[in-house]
Amino acid sequence: MWDAWCARCHAADGSGRIAEPTVTVEPMDFTDCTVTSPEPDADWERAIAKGGPGVGLSPQMPAFEDALTPEQVAGFVSHIRGFCKDAGWPSGNTNFPRPILTEKAFPENEFLILPAISHDRDKDDVVVKALYERRFGKRSMFEIGVPAANHGVNEIEVAVKHALLSNHTSILSLGFETAVSGDTAVFEPYVSAGAMLGDWYLQGQVKMELPADRAKADRAFVYNAYFGRDTSAAPTTWTIGVEINGDNRELALTPQVRKGLTGTGALAASVGATIPINQRQERGARWVGYLLWEYLEPWRARQ
Amino acid sequence: MAGQTVVPGMREVPRLRTGPSVPAVLVMALVASNASAQAGSIAGVVTTTAKGAAPVRVTFDQKVCGDELPNESTIVDAEGRLANAVVTLTGLKRTAAADIIVLNEKCRFTPRVQVVKPNATVKTTSNDAVLHTTQALLDSGRTIFNVALPVPGIIISKPIGAAGPVRLHCNTHPWMRGWVIVTDEAAGISGADGRFTIDNVPPGGYELRVWHETLKGAPQRVTVAAGKPTEVSLQLK
Repeated sequence: MWDAWCARCHAADGSGRIAEPTVTVEPMDFTDCTVTSPEPDADWERAIAKGGPGVGLSPQMPAFEDALTPEQVAGFVSHIRGFCKDAGWPSGNTNFPRPILTEKAFPENEFLILPAISHDRDKDDVVVKALYERRFGKRSMFEIGVPAANHGVNEIEVAVKHALLSNHTSILSLGFETAVSGDTAVFEPYVSAGAMLGDWYLQGQVKMELPADRAKADRAFVYNAYFGRDTSAAPTTWTIGVEINGDNRELALTPQVRKGLTGTGALAASVGATIPINQRQERGARWVGYLLWEYLEPWRARQ
Repeated sequence: MAGQTVVPGMREVPRLRTGPSVPAVLVMALVASNASAQAGSIAGVVTTTAKGAAPVRVTFDQKVCGDELPNESTIVDAEGRLANAVVTLTGLKRTAAADIIVLNEKCRFTPRVQVVKPNATVKTTSNDAVLHTTQALLDSGRTIFNVALPVPGIIISKPIGAAGPVRLHCNTHPWMRGWVIVTDEAAGISGADGRFTIDNVPPGGYELRVWHETLKGAPQRVTVAAGKPTEVSLQLK
């Protein structure tokens, strides 16, 4: 059925390259695993069922939902995934929405701005971090983060992450971050994991913070867990969730909402509030969030 | 003269908007039947000096589509009579078809040009054993819908919206074109002989507007007489 129905535009080999193109927008190259692997089945199924506009892409891709059963649509998604001949790419089904504070396990190509506004008296009021993430290889990613506080920039964070294990519903990654400031360097090995529980996303991270100079910074054990779900299947969906954030003995809850800002979801924003559960005399609430750009994805449709 | 009763009858219309009573509705019904008894009609011909376009050479799916298809963007006969022009009578509200069927057959949209009322339903179907799509587009480039017709016999219904004209494309056969003219005014479509009719037109003065997918023509004033056809001719360039 691929050859009879889809190949006219997408080519028999899935490359989208055909001798006589019938559409004016060039179809995606499904033989490119960086195109075919990183998004969840649900997004692909939506693109086939609702057509391009269902996922913010070209309206020249028609809707098949009146012609095919959901099982047939799922069959086409498997077929499309099969154009990526290279094994070892982590399943896009484990590319879960990014929590605000929990490091997600899936490697990404993203640029983020992460503001945090705290109401502590003895800490910076506003910190804005710029974060650049870039995948390399099939399962790895590096990132560079630069936090800027009211008194300027005095730290840089560099990290690598590798997806060690993944199947269709869960993923586990190892990461190593180094935060270098004028005072000292802090080494931060971590483990991140994610899984689907029905319609719910469960994501977690545990991290050690090990300063090179223990006179300048404290050791810390940091742990974050996120529980959340989408409110619709569209890339523009609201996603609601809550994190529990632990830092040694300090515990906090971060309820949050996330929304895709463009039809493809390539721009997204999240906002939440970190509310201390214990030691409330010393710590105030903190507004947190991010603005995210998947810079390799189209952020709007071409006609 | 019975025709005079039409005029006060027409004046009844605004009163209905402020809250119809049963007698008012009855009066309207009587007036309407009177109006149709005395109504005129418009019969016309659309011509052009433009020539028809060269046929389309088919380079794939020839088994279903054939090797060559007529280019139906301008269908004009030897006398210059033009088909598929849509003539609308400005100001005369008319309930056009609520549903239309667009048939994909031998890699053509059939009929190529149709008229529907605003927010009507378009049912698109196919007789061809090849994937067709029906993409409905506005002049602005906005897509109203785009549905796949992978198997013969499938019927897919979609609302057409309130604005037109709507252009139909098939994404797998780029030469295919169809048009859906969305209007709540009385309209006629010229046939292969260039002729069109608009029946049941109350006597009076009107403006005729003409639409064609490739040619243009100026609006024309027409005065419709009671009880007989009023002949017009429209020329497009």
